[in-house]
Amino acid sequence: MSNKYIAGRRDFLKATTSGLIAGMLPVSLVRLAGAAEGEPDFTFAYISDSHIQQIKGAKFVRNWDQGLIRAVAEANLLEPKPDFVVFGGDLAQLGSKAELDHGAEILAGLNYKTHAVLGEHDFYLDMGEYWSKLYGDHYYSWDHKGVHFVVLNSILTYDDWVNKWETDERRMNEMAGLDNPNGSPFMVGDKQMKWLKKDLSKVSKDTPIIVFSHSPLQKIYKGWNFWTEEADDIQALLKPFDKVNVIYGHVHQIQYNQIDNIAFTSVMSTAWPWPYPESYAQAESHLPILTVPMNRADPFNERDATGWQFMNMNSGRVDLEFNLYNNTNRTVGFNHDKGHPEDTSFSDPDARTPAQSHF
Amino acid sequence: MLRVTLVVISMCLLAPAYGDEFTAEEAERWMEQFEQVAADGRRLWTSPEIGTNGVACAQCHPNAANTHPETYPKFQKQLGRVVQLWEMFNWCLRNPLEGEEMAADDPRMIAMQAYAYKERRGVKLEPGKH
Amino acid sequence: MIKALLAIAALVLTGAAAAQAPLGLPDVPVPVDNPQTPEKIALGSRLFNDLRFSSTRAVSCATCHIAALAFTDSPLHVSKGINDLTGTRNAPTVVNAAFNKTQFWDGRSPDLEDQALHPFLNPVEMGLENHDPILETIRNDSEYVKAFGTVFDAGPDEISMNEVTKAIAAFERTQVSGDSPFDRWYFGGEQDAMTEDAVRGFAVFLGNGRCVSCHAMEQDFALFTDHQFHNVGVGINDIQDKVPELARAFQVAKNEGMDVDVAVLTDADTSHLGRFAVDDQLSSMGAFKTSTLRNIAVTAPYMHDGSIRTLREVVEHYNNGGVSKADGAVNPFLSGGIRPLNLTEQEMDDLVAFMEALTSPQFEQSLAGSVASAKVSGEE
Repeated sequence: MSNKYIAGRRDFLKATTSGLIAGMLPVSLVRLAGAAEGEPDFTFAYISDSHIQQIKGAKFVRNWDQGLIRAVAEANLLEPKPDFVVFGGDLAQLGSKAELDHGAEILAGLNYKTHAVLGEHDFYLDMGEYWSKLYGDHYYSWDHKGVHFVVLNSILTYDDWVNKWETDERRMNEMAGLDNPNGSPFMVGDKQMKWLKKDLSKVSKDTPIIVFSHSPLQKIYKGWNFWTEEADDIQALLKPFDKVNVIYGHVHQIQYNQIDNIAFTSVMSTAWPWPYPESYAQAESHLPILTVPMNRADPFNERDATGWQFMNMNSGRVDLEFNLYNNTNRTVGFNHDKGHPEDTSFSDPDARTPAQSHF
Repeated sequence: MLRVTLVVISMCLLAPAYGDEFTAEEAERWMEQFEQVAADGRRLWTSPEIGTNGVACAQCHPNAANTHPETYPKFQKQLGRVVQLWEMFNWCLRNPLEGEEMAADDPRMIAMQAYAYKERRGVKLEPGKH
Repeated sequence: MIKALLAIAALVLTGAAAAQAPLGLPDVPVPVDNPQTPEKIALGSRLFNDLRFSSTRAVSCATCHIAALAFTDSPLHVSKGINDLTGTRNAPTVVNAAFNKTQFWDGRSPDLEDQALHPFLNPVEMGLENHDPILETIRNDSEYVKAFGTVFDAGPDEISMNEVTKAIAAFERTQVSGDSPFDRWYFGGEQDAMTEDAVRGFAVFLGNGRCVSCHAMEQDFALFTDHQFHNVGVGINDIQDKVPELARAFQVAKNEGMDVDVAVLTDADTSHLGRFAVDDQLSSMGAFKTSTLRNIAVTAPYMHDGSIRTLREVVEHYNNGGVSKADGAVNPFLSGGIRPLNLTEQEMDDLVAFMEALTSPQFEQSLAGSVASAKVSGEE
């Protein structure tokens, strides 16, 4: 099997348990020798931030449609098959029924069970009412092969802000602008905090936990709402557990971090990339220092710096491959020696390409 | 007499004797005029109306980030040669926004550039940097 | 001392003359371990044209890469090898191939030297079981023996495919062409070098046609390729339903040792998998290398399977957003650079005129021939 990763990956593989990449080879040919016996070992796919945008009537922005269609087509090719797919939020751009229906129709082409996470662009037109009809609960949990999964609705905000707009459309438009100074920070709210505490109380400390959230559950950059107000409190609730992984969308870029026992990894958008907050010269931001940046995007190719994710659950930790349609794929594996996620090809500064510093 | 004095004084205030002697008030006023144009630029930047498909510049370039105005003129591969900032703006207008190009001296183009430069103030010039 | 200086001067001058690129081209990249010499180039030319290096002793490189036809076998859609067996792909031109970062439509060869190894062994090209017959023929040919001795300082038993492919590559590196009407107009400043419609076509190329981003050009030269692989909706559109099964079967077979070179040239559907067959990446599904546009007017038909006959039809395919019929179904793996263009008829004609202005003077005759025959057969 041709291995597209650099030779250094083989050394890296000793420290991580990553072995499975998104491909089409029978399991017997790719299982990495030495994967711990009895530990959960399965894969799932993650598609996020499709931002289906209506122009008029049955006409949608073709660029965003194509991004989601391609993710579905590629994910359907996966061999061995993933256990399930997660949709990470922001299916629609302005939360209309037309957009949600169009997006849901494309997603329905997936050959696997799909769990969905709410994004702000899905929510603020009708406060998630139509979303419930399509995808059910706004927050929930389930267990699978010894792993506890939690989905949070982490894009809520203060009631004052929600209530101050004259129309639903106005409220949605205000929240839709990433850099809108009239925006309002994301949160999960008291009700969900209580629910989360209760939900986690039933989970044993050595059960691996994965939390799916749209907002980062960290405080990265408030100006673009790369932010969750209760980040510290949520992290405190997760602290007692041995292995916690948080997967979040919203940022449309590669980010990953380790805070105590929690490994955080972002996912990419299928629609378009966002620049790193530090590229905004007028504000301070806190991009996790572990992150090796993605390449700066080429706007000509509509699929540049967009893609979907393939996740390999191994030994209670998530190894993640960013399947980028028009760029070198990036793999962020959990390095067990170092105890944090790491880019398998570009962690060494000498291995980086100029495109990773010119964003 | 008073009227003459007033006229003379006001003429002194309004019309300096030499071309290079602009006043602090004038500098401030002209800066405000720039800020107005930049504010227009911000409006255009976030507007779904400048293209034909509802996509706004701010969708991919929040706060005009990742436009790198300080690196122009530079080789831009989407245009195959060394170009200026407004030419790249036109490229974006035509391509992701599926709209019409603007002339370099179109007030809207000037406004958008004013906004982009304003959001990038303080960053040193690096013309040609890819 | 003076002799040494003169010798160095001669070397530098020869080197300079050899390296002088035609207008519109950069210097030809030459690998350090395979420098150009006149003798090596002559040897390479001989090897390139030698019919004996095939199982029927009737096929050479030149069979599909005919010098008079800009080193293609135009107007064949796909090439014919031994016993008239057809492959699945259109023979790319050798002209300016020296600038490519990879060789073959799917980039499975990293350079010209490696590329030369493969057609000898392909069952529908030269049909040899291994390279031994080639080396035997060479060793029994006194002129070859002498030439290899001079060029590589290799005795008969030391001649290997390493030397053979180096010579062939050296010859191929001399097949470069620039100095087209476009080059003279754009880089040479000759105002009248291009016709008016070609000038308008160039504006479309850079603008609404969106061509330049893949068929790239730079401030002082133009190769018209970004060296990357893109799915533009050719071939794969016709097998969309089959792709999952086909790709899966291919991967399993590949893992069991199947030769990619053989598979892609002997099965049309497999050929349409494109770059995926080489790098196993889902995102490479149906992707092919951006070809140069130099001399494109004389190297019809077009695309990896030769399925598009004329330049006008190519433009229509792109104008439709990656389908040949305007209402066709776009394949889901389509490159992000491809989208409907909404060009006018005039813009499309002008774009064709521009592409015709990319023909270098030495191939002008072929242009006249191919345009004329296209008109005769009613294709225009």
